[in-house]
This record gives sequence, structure tokens and C-alpha cells, in this order.
Amino acid sequence: MKSIPHKRSREVEAWLRKEEVEQRKRYRKIVAEQEALSPKRDKWIAQFLQRIQTRGVHTHYDQMRKVRPEEIPVKPKRKFRVVF
Amino acid sequence: MARPHIEPFVDRDVPFKKMTLPGFPRGMQYKMLSLDTDDGACTMTVLYEPGYKQPPGMSYAEYELFIMSGSVTIGEKVWGPGSYIFVPAGVAIEAMSSPRGATGLLFYNYGEPSFVESDSDHKHAERNRLAMVNSYENMHWTSTNFFPATAPGCMVKVLRFDPRTHGFTFLYCMTPNFWQDNISYHDCCEEAYHIWGTSWMMQFGDLPTGGYFWRPPYINHGAFASKLGILAIGRTDTQLYNHFHFNPWTNIEENQERAASRLLNRNPELYKWVNSHGHNHPIDFEFDHGHAHGDMAHHHGDGMVDHKHKKKKRSRR
Repeated sequence: MKSIPHKRSREVEAWLRKEEVEQRKRYRKIVAEQEALSPKRDKWIAQFLQRIQTRGVHTHYDQMRKVRPEEIPVKPKRKFRVVF
Repeated sequence: MARPHIEPFVDRDVPFKKMTLPGFPRGMQYKMLSLDTDDGACTMTVLYEPGYKQPPGMSYAEYELFIMSGSVTIGEKVWGPGSYIFVPAGVAIEAMSSPRGATGLLFYNYGEPSFVESDSDHKHAERNRLAMVNSYENMHWTSTNFFPATAPGCMVKVLRFDPRTHGFTFLYCMTPNFWQDNISYHDCCEEAYHIWGTSWMMQFGDLPTGGYFWRPPYINHGAFASKLGILAIGRTDTQLYNHFHFNPWTNIEENQERAASRLLNRNPELYKWVNSHGHNHPIDFEFDHGHAHGDMAHHHGDGMVDHKHKKKKRSRR
């Protein structure tokens, strides 16, 4: 039994609505902050794609393999999102 | 829409609010970290003010409490930092107090926070699932036993494991100079809170002390690093499988496609069976709450996997 059926009071419904509104604000703020991080993220990705060709990519625990240049993915033209 | 993707969110940036929900005693404050807008399940940082007193009582939803600082007394036992308490729905716990105050994390699963004063369990309570442990003092760090596994230097203490869903709650740490150069996603929701320390992820940047995320399935995260190490608590709602790769630009749909393809290769017979039954009511004979009667999600061969209906009464002849 994960949850016991019960009737929610009006106070509880109101509290949930208020928290939902605040969560939407929090979400929008996160999306804006992550959008602003894009230039840094592009650099981090470029460094990562270099490292996995020289030091390797982790496949399991301490096992790594070097990625060949022809395996390196190309950035698609679509908008790049990290928050969904 | 269940819980949205909240990542990253740092609770140090927002003040505590007084808990005003009916039933909760005065002296409890909270910061909302994430909320399921369908059923009210949520994760909160909580502050019990010095002198807090709560009578014996129960919640309609199961919940988990993790003490980060200070202590609470439940009955006569004192629970300090690192204490983890899992309380199933309807289980009444003894009176709780916090003479000097405490902070913690409070996770309500499958329903909104509720507190009903009671010194006896609800008739549907499953007291055998009640669990209390001081994870700092009485549990050892172990390596992650998933396959494929996280890189060396990431260790866990499993606080709770759900044998049915394989969802689990765990402490995890990263040693100083931890690094893992790959990108991961999972089939499950994942949630974590940094009790101490800063780690970095290639998508989201630094997550410091007080940092939190709720991440729905199939969202890329990683590479990973931590200069000085971290201590954190994490949770999943179902089995955690590390789908590792190195393409930073894949989206949720592509990750889902890949996961389904891997399922087909890993469990071909199960994949075939699930797809070949028109009226699909998976039955788990081990769980009598599992219901093979249609009130669990299933489909009628039309792909509407969230479909549910009430048990049909069988006429007796």
C-alpha cells in the first residue's frame, strides 16, 4: 500500500496549487540559467570530445576505450536543450 | 504531468517557509524541492525548530526522512545526522521531538504530505516495512554493483530497496578528484541532494552543497567530476541502469529508442512476449497487491500503456 485513499481538504488543495505555481517559476528560472550557460557548455563539450579520443571514454567502472575520430558525433542543427 | 525536470536547484538560495498544512504541528519549516502535480508527492528540505514536538501519528502516503544536522527523538531514541527513517503509509510512529532543532530531507511518495494524530496504525498499514537506521554510524560504503558501473571513486550505502520496482534510496559519495568521462541516462527518474560538496556535470555545471535535482527518465547527464568530493543522497523510482554513451546532443526520443533497442537485445524473449499479447495484464504472483484485474497500468494492444480500469466483478454461476 503506497498511499491510503483519503479526501483532500480545501486547505490542502490550495497549498498544492500555490506550490505548483512556485514550481513553475522555479522551472522557468532554471531554463533561463541553463540557457545562459550555453557558451561554457559548448567549451566543456569540445574538451570532452577531445579527452575521449586521447584518454578514452568510460565503458564500465575503470574500463575505458579511446574513441576514433570518425566516431565523434556532429552537432545536429536542431536546438540543443539540456532541461526538458 | 508528474514532476518536471528540476536541475539544478540550490536550496541555499531560498528561505524556509512555515509548514501550514492541516495536522502538522507548529515549529516545522520547509523548502520545496520538487512536487508531483498529479498526486502531491514531493521532496522538501525541512527544519525542525528547537523545541519542536509532534504527537504520535501517521501519514496517508509513505515517506522517508533523512536527518542532516541536529537530531530528532522518536519515542525514546535519538536520531542524529545520517539517520534514515522509512515510514510506510498508515504506520503510526511514536511522538517525535527535537529539543535542539534539526534539518533534514523529507520525501513523500505517492501522495501529498499529511499528518494525522494517532497512536495506532491504519488498518492498511504495512508495519513490517518500517525501517530506521543511522547510515553514518552503522553502514559501510560499498562499490556500486550496477553493470555497467560508475567509475572508481563513487561509492554507495543502500538505505532502502523496493523489491518490486527496484527503485532505491541511497547515500553516495565521490572521492576527491573523482572523474567519469561518459554521458549517462536511465530508464528511471533520478533525484539527488548534495549534503556536502560540489560536483560538476557537463550539461548543468557545478552542483554545490544544498544542490538538488529531479531528473525524469532518458535525460543526458555527464561527464562528471568532483575536485574535493561530495556526500549526497539519491533516489530512483525504478531500476537504475546506466545507459552510457558519448554523444552530447542526443535527445530524449533518441535515448528512448536506444534503450528499447537494448531491451530487445538483452531480453529478446520478454520483449516478444510483451509485444505479442493483445490484452496485456502482466501478473506478478509474488505480490498480492499487484492486481491482475486491470487497476494497474496495462494496455489492450493499442499502446495506451497508462490505461487502467476497476476490477470487474465476476458473476457466480
